Amino acid sequence: MEEVGLLINGIYLKVPQGYTLLQAAQQLGVDIPTLCYHPELPSEGNCRLCVVEIGEHPRTRLVNSCTYPVEPGLNVQTHSEKVLQARRITLELLLARAPKAKLIQELAAEMGIHESRFKSEDPYELCILCGLCVRTCREIVGVSAISMANRTPGKLVTTPFLEPSDACIGCGSCAFVCPTEVIPYIEKDGKRIIWGREFELVRCNICGNYIAPMAQLEHWAKLTGEPVEHYFVCRDCR
Amino acid sequence: MDKFDVASSQKYDVYASRLLPKEEYFVGGHRSCQGCGEALAVRWVCKAIGKDAVIAHATGCMEIVSSGFPQTAWVQPWIHVAFENTAAVASGLEAGYKILARKGKLSGNPPKVVAMGGDGGTTDIGLQALSGAMERGHNFTYICWDNEAYMNTGIQRSSSTPYGAMTTTSPPGKRSIGQPTWKKNMMAIAVAHGIPYVATACPSYLFDLYFKVKRAVETPGPAYIHILSVCPTGWRSATDLTVRLGRLAVETGVFPLYEVVNGRYHLTIDIPELRPVKDYLKLQGRFRHLREPEIEFIQRQVLAHYDLLLKKCEAPYPEFPPLSQTEEGE
Repeated sequence: MEEVGLLINGIYLKVPQGYTLLQAAQQLGVDIPTLCYHPELPSEGNCRLCVVEIGEHPRTRLVNSCTYPVEPGLNVQTHSEKVLQARRITLELLLARAPKAKLIQELAAEMGIHESRFKSEDPYELCILCGLCVRTCREIVGVSAISMANRTPGKLVTTPFLEPSDACIGCGSCAFVCPTEVIPYIEKDGKRIIWGREFELVRCNICGNYIAPMAQLEHWAKLTGEPVEHYFVCRDCR
Repeated sequence: MDKFDVASSQKYDVYASRLLPKEEYFVGGHRSCQGCGEALAVRWVCKAIGKDAVIAHATGCMEIVSSGFPQTAWVQPWIHVAFENTAAVASGLEAGYKILARKGKLSGNPPKVVAMGGDGGTTDIGLQALSGAMERGHNFTYICWDNEAYMNTGIQRSSSTPYGAMTTTSPPGKRSIGQPTWKKNMMAIAVAHGIPYVATACPSYLFDLYFKVKRAVETPGPAYIHILSVCPTGWRSATDLTVRLGRLAVETGVFPLYEVVNGRYHLTIDIPELRPVKDYLKLQGRFRHLREPEIEFIQRQVLAHYDLLLKKCEAPYPEFPPLSQTEEGE
């Protein structure tokens, strides 16, 4: 594969073409804070925490390192004063949006921010709109049961029309990937509740232990082409 | 890691596993046996610990197979110590980093200190060092790989060997049924020290293991995790049954998965219907000599232990009064 040479914090390194600045920095061992980046998911650049400064001195600009591809000879600064200033403001805005989120509080405290100058709309908000859950549902699970709705002031992650969605298979991957643990996911007495929909868990035909919701078994059957009855027996009894 | 309480971790199913970290901290090329459950556990524990960590590892299977000079399978800084002083070395490491931070010679967060040992190095030989380190309250995590005997020296019995198991030092015969004593309850010993986090885990329940280790490492103060690692060589079981045997141990109630946070018991994998113990025993050659009366005895004992555990989970007050004043009331 063709390689591209670039400078990160004055250190020259070569990375394969198609890498993003964030991947190149991680390969070098430079720590760039991010909230919405996940190596298994396509980057969208929602959180704006991974900004870096690129270009030569008088004409530098800030770009998202998780979406900007490497260029030959590019000069990147990951912790310059301009970058740190931008990150601090982003964190203050995030802290105003989700003041109770532990992850944001910790990140902000690391940068020396303990309270935000901006007004908080909802003091109990936890969602930071990173979009990891939406991308997980679309790319990893492949059902697209949740999406972003509305424009900025009222933007939220939800199922279509705020109603329990038929597309959801109740796998809980969105709750797993959520960095601020805002998606309620309860499993109790053979019932699983997520996104307002209640899933009855199927019991194994042989041992009687719970396997998964019916919707998920149907999804597996559709993917593999096997009859759905094939999955009514748990993996230990199969 | 509150995530753990929100959803019982086994229920993330097939999709969330694709989102777990891909970086390897316990790399391939080591010499563990085919179907080793311990190597599987080590791999995922190291992933959960993350890269800023120092590991002190007792002599044992995992040390023998992974660190034969001049090679090593460990990516994190790793110290090999003797059987008896793993926890002592870990407490020294932790104290050392504390002093360095106090003198201003350490920038950023100090690395996490993790001690690891087999069941022999934990429940038999290393117990007094471990007890001392837990009692002194060092901020470290102790992880015990429990394969229920001294496997690498040739399957000698340890105090963690279950009742009735055949080992080379507890052979079954006319006057013996194998291991004559019940498995030592190491969890209760750890809880009795009044430490903030104690848990059991099994690599067959990956998310459960992953979150427990993450939580243990994040807990300030000592944490203890007991991991059941299936050993096809010593258990005389088929190598392709490793993961299934781990699940059966949990589903039969032989090795329930629970955690004790500040003295409060909490069952993390709640099995609606326990399987008969026979399902678990019949797959292992080390229990092959057991006849109906012994199996029935084991079944009764397992159910009694499980009931006791359920009672502890329902207890309205913690096992010991919490040390910190700031513990949130429930």
